[in-house]
Amino acid sequence: MFWLQLNRVIGYWPVLLKGIGMTLALSALSLLIGVVIGFAFGILRAGPNKALSRVVGLYVDFFRGTPFLVQVFIVFFILPEIGIELSAFTAGVVALSNAAACFIGEIVAAGIQSVPTGQTEAAAASGFTRAQQMRLIVLPQAIRVVTPSLVGQFVLLIKDSSVVSAIGLLDLTRSGWMIVQSVPNGLLVFGIVGIGYFAICYPLIWLSRRMERHGQAPIL
Amino acid sequence: MIEFTNLNKWFGSLHVLKDIDLAVTKGEVVVVCGPSGSGKSTLIRCINGLEPFQKGRLVVDGFDLGSSSVRLRELRMEVGFVFQSFNLYPHKTALENVTLAPIHVRGLSKAEADDRGRALLEKVGLADRMQSYPHQLSGGQQQRVAIARSLCMQPKIMLFDEPTSALDPEMINEVLDVMVSLAREGMTMMVVTHEMGFARKVADRVIFMDRGAIVETADPESFFTNPQSERSRDFLSKVLHH
Ligand SMILES: Nc1ncnc2c1ncn2[C@@H]1O[C@H](COP(=O)(O)OP(=O)(O)OP(=O)(O)O)[C@@H](O)[C@H]1O
Ligand SMILES: [Mg+2]
Repeated sequence: MFWLQLNRVIGYWPVLLKGIGMTLALSALSLLIGVVIGFAFGILRAGPNKALSRVVGLYVDFFRGTPFLVQVFIVFFILPEIGIELSAFTAGVVALSNAAACFIGEIVAAGIQSVPTGQTEAAAASGFTRAQQMRLIVLPQAIRVVTPSLVGQFVLLIKDSSVVSAIGLLDLTRSGWMIVQSVPNGLLVFGIVGIGYFAICYPLIWLSRRMERHGQAPIL
Repeated sequence: MIEFTNLNKWFGSLHVLKDIDLAVTKGEVVVVCGPSGSGKSTLIRCINGLEPFQKGRLVVDGFDLGSSSVRLRELRMEVGFVFQSFNLYPHKTALENVTLAPIHVRGLSKAEADDRGRALLEKVGLADRMQSYPHQLSGGQQQRVAIARSLCMQPKIMLFDEPTSALDPEMINEVLDVMVSLAREGMTMMVVTHEMGFARKVADRVIFMDRGAIVETADPESFFTNPQSERSRDFLSKVLHH
């Protein structure tokens, strides 16, 4: 019985593959956008403009304090009410990148703050502009500090991406739902789905831990 | 070159610089000493705009630091600052530390900056450590890189805030030697230090500060042998006896 079911699940490999492809595409794209916006958030958050820092802080806290599923619903169901129509994929990317940016922003801000003030003083005393101080001296040091936690954060992002199956995207999780309709063995099907996620995430977990152990991340 | 007129500074309600009047001319070497918390660091940090002040006037190399339109960056290109804790950039090699500002602030080509940087590192005795990272260098070596980093901008004024007090005793002289030769070459310098040997060798004047005010100004010989004020006598007896 078990082997028969396993065989049938494996027969659905094109669906599983499609699901993995969607999960990868969704995660990678959101990761890219989330990193870019997250760094901007982090720089503003740790920056000298107190008002801007507070606004970003409040924005970030709002999204850290609401369930991701709710955020996905807001983007997918509520934005159209105010005239912003999004495909399920775009909605998924928007919600995921936004959540990623919020977490990454906080990590980056902490990294920037971990750079001793003597560094910016020395740089200022040499005549660097604020932007140059950030780009040439503070960020390279902050990035080394935060890379392990950032990579750890990427794992959370990939796992969170499963939530967007709720708005109908055929990602790895949803492909599991589809297969389980015709192979009624949830444990088996979602076991395989779980292994799929683990296969994507484990290299990142391993990398993050390795970098933490070696103290410093390679220069990006 | 540096002219304080009736300068006052507060940290909140704490009055840290009181009616400072001081003029340093080109080529002069001025040593600043005084007990901890007397305002020595704050005084020299005002000179390159690292600390703002609330009252009085400060003109450095023609830049009026009190005015709101002062071009701080241009001033800072002309004023080198050496910190007690070195503050080298840990992600850059010694040579990169030295050439970073000349390239990005002065706009030198990398080749020009490298030539200048190598010459300076050789001058401070670090010809063989150009590719080392700060954590691979001793304290004395790091401070010499920091001095070369400031010099590579070809400043007109050099400020030193206790450059040797974070160093092990056996490394103090290698740093002081560099500073002595710089002074002999005619650099305008203000040096916060308690190193009397250095002051005796090259200082034109010693300034003694206490509780935010300049209490005494004298040539080094008379300051160390025959201090005029009660407080400087008191301070010297403490410094000399350990
Ligand atoms: N950023 C700051 N905020 C508030 N108070 C400060 C600040 N920096 C210095 N002070 C205070 O200003 C006074 C003068 O400090 P300063 O660092 O100039 O003294 P100093 O003579 O350099 O002392 P030391 O020999 O310990 O370096 C001290 O009372 C110090 O506590
Ligand atoms: Mg000090």
